[in-house]
Amino acid sequence: MNNENEFTGADILLKALKDQEVDTIFGYPGGAVLPIYDAIFGQNFLKHVLVRQEAGAVHAAEGYARSSGKVGVLLVTSGPGVTNVVTGLTDALMDSIPIVCISGQVPSHLIGTDAFQECDTTGITRPCTKHNYLVKDVSKLSETIHEAFKIASSGRPGPVLIDIPKDVQFAKSKYISKKDISFREHRIKAGSKNVDKNFVKELLSHIKKSERPIFYVGGGCLNSGHQASQELIKLVNKTNIPITTTLHGLGCFPGEDKSSLGMLGMHGNYEANLAMNKCDLMINVGARFDDRVTGRLDAFSPDSIKFHIDIDQSSINKNVKVNFHTNTDITLTLKEINSFIDSNNIDFGDKDYSNWWGQINEWRKKECLHYEQGDEVIKPQHAISRLYELTKQKDTFVTTEVGQHQMWAAQYYKFSKPNRWITSGGLGTMGFGMPAAVGAQMANPDSLVIDIAGEASFLMNIQEIATAVQYKLPIKIFILNNEYMGMVRQWQELLHGSRYSESYVDALPDFKKLAESFNAVGVRAKNIAELDDTINEMISIDRPVIADIWVDKKENCFPMIPSGAAHHEMLLSKYDKENPENQEKGKVLV
Amino acid sequence: MSSTSVYPTPINAFKQSKRSVLSVIVDNEPGILARIVGLFSGRGYNIEALNVTVVDVKKNLSRITIETLGEEKVISQIIAQLEKLVPVHSATNLANLSESYEAEICLVKIEFENEEQDQKILNFADIYRSRTVQKRQNIVVYEISGTSERINKFLDDLDTIGGIKVELVRSGPIGLGI
Ligand SMILES: Cc1ncc(C[n+]2csc(CCOP(=O)(O)OP(=O)(O)O)c2C)c(N)n1
Ligand SMILES: [Mg+2]
Repeated sequence: MNNENEFTGADILLKALKDQEVDTIFGYPGGAVLPIYDAIFGQNFLKHVLVRQEAGAVHAAEGYARSSGKVGVLLVTSGPGVTNVVTGLTDALMDSIPIVCISGQVPSHLIGTDAFQECDTTGITRPCTKHNYLVKDVSKLSETIHEAFKIASSGRPGPVLIDIPKDVQFAKSKYISKKDISFREHRIKAGSKNVDKNFVKELLSHIKKSERPIFYVGGGCLNSGHQASQELIKLVNKTNIPITTTLHGLGCFPGEDKSSLGMLGMHGNYEANLAMNKCDLMINVGARFDDRVTGRLDAFSPDSIKFHIDIDQSSINKNVKVNFHTNTDITLTLKEINSFIDSNNIDFGDKDYSNWWGQINEWRKKECLHYEQGDEVIKPQHAISRLYELTKQKDTFVTTEVGQHQMWAAQYYKFSKPNRWITSGGLGTMGFGMPAAVGAQMANPDSLVIDIAGEASFLMNIQEIATAVQYKLPIKIFILNNEYMGMVRQWQELLHGSRYSESYVDALPDFKKLAESFNAVGVRAKNIAELDDTINEMISIDRPVIADIWVDKKENCFPMIPSGAAHHEMLLSKYDKENPENQEKGKVLV
Repeated sequence: MSSTSVYPTPINAFKQSKRSVLSVIVDNEPGILARIVGLFSGRGYNIEALNVTVVDVKKNLSRITIETLGEEKVISQIIAQLEKLVPVHSATNLANLSESYEAEICLVKIEFENEEQDQKILNFADIYRSRTVQKRQNIVVYEISGTSERINKFLDDLDTIGGIKVELVRSGPIGLGI
């Protein structure tokens, strides 16, 4: 029987992807996805990017999603294909990135027999996805895919996996289009669309009463969309309240604006952390009181009334008890706050918080990000500052790996727009940045995409250079090469008596030659005199470039709130010593 | 300086821990139990008892009842985490309802050696109004239901009789709000 209205599972998948307006998919083939690859062969709406290891596919999908605001999609085979993406799925879950992962599975009748390349995919990925499915019946496939996209992108976004046995990819059924599916609300968990007017009123009356208010803004603001950031800017301008952002909040508010105190937390600015410690009113917009931000909890912002806007109910009162909260979307809530101010003619003119700003400006005088650049060895901070100065006029996206270079990038590169800064925060995944740059460049072909990297992290997914070369993606890998797992070395210096156990990265490749062997371009700066020219050369080349920047090997990242310390117990330089009691307690923490 | 840790360990959490019975309505689909159990083990929560059964065949719904220990803050976090699971319709702490009822069922098999023991067993069974399921020469099987506490007491009383062998199974508490 050949029914015209029936399609194979593989074709249904492609139809659904088209329906979802997916134009790019990152993947790697294998036995259990061959029917899908066959369907990809015969079409031209979907661009498949062949990565070199599945970990690359998942980070590329994350980079694509973060830089475009769309859902990132990847396709991997059963067994080792899917176990290779476990890190990336966990990363996307921690950082609330919407991605959909399609995995092949052994044919249904072989499931449970320890067949070749069989693994319990839904079992392995259950704790590292927002939701996952094993599709056993092809007639359920369309609906499952559409629901997966909806779940990935609704409420607090996250990764969703769909495992499709090979026989289901061959089996036939009708295709049901997106518009013909009615989602069951309890499964989508989109959050409330009704603004809590009471919350808004309480907030405004507390703003009027407060002497020392602060906005504390996180990645939730990013996920709520560009409009959230527009509303936030309006609100800050109206109220003159200082604002600090988390690592993921960078860019939601212009980093160079006078109201911005920069990033807070473990390597955050002195003025931001002290303002959090001393404020009397904290307005948390989509941040989750992460331990990297709060420092020691019993000393976290002891005197403040706390308001929390977060679409995720489980983020409320998890680590820090708040006085008022709302689970409605940030854009809607901020919009209501702004229009309430306008329609009630609330004037903050007399309320300029001048004492508070005076205090903050005193703290700013510490110049916590100050460093001494000598005339020979490049300071890593300086390398980022120069990179910023020489690229800020361009349409730039920055990804990072994980370590000191990541924190220096957060401190010295300033972002004025959301979605320009793509980093692994919650999981701290080394090897994230380069494939994420591949994804960001796919989504933004005309922009400048730079991966600020450490040499150790870069080695973790180095194979993806080949992907960048194959697809002519002119990404720039800007390596702050200190020959150390610098962040590990720093902790060993501060907490383990400078015993640098296994943190020296020996036998490093020659990154210039390495670039050339991949048919990319390698450039190098060995000293301060070569820095600007090297950066300019890197930017000018319209091909993938690896820039090997030799930096001071022993530089540490400051300010630092050591684990177990509080916001006001920050170390500002290597001359500051940590309270030994905290040090012993902090050692056991992460 | 207070020495409270940044990361509350489970030991701290259990200090003020209270017994709570949670009632969760879910879509009856593959993996739902694994999701819930995984949530508890992954986040270090306790499951004291667990009961799962389909309650609405037409709508394909199951009700899962979980007895857990934790301070109030932990219980609210568990509820919030449960409600994030895609197939979960609702999660309720029965203690937060103005009125709710709980019951549990237990089957007890008792092997005894003499008349005196038999008499004592009969006596307790009578007091607790347990139903005889089966009786042979030296083996008796009772069914007892009621609150978990009542079943505990019955078992404690049986314990006072020396020299008997007891084997049992309990359903764990189930509950319903009104
Ligand atoms: C996959 C993974 N393994 C281990 C770590 C622990 N870790 C955090 S930073 C770091 C060192 C990173 O070294 P490098 O990339 O050279 O960056 P640097 O700190 O020197 O700038 C390590 C090993 C991690 N974050 N991710
Ligand atoms: Mg390094």
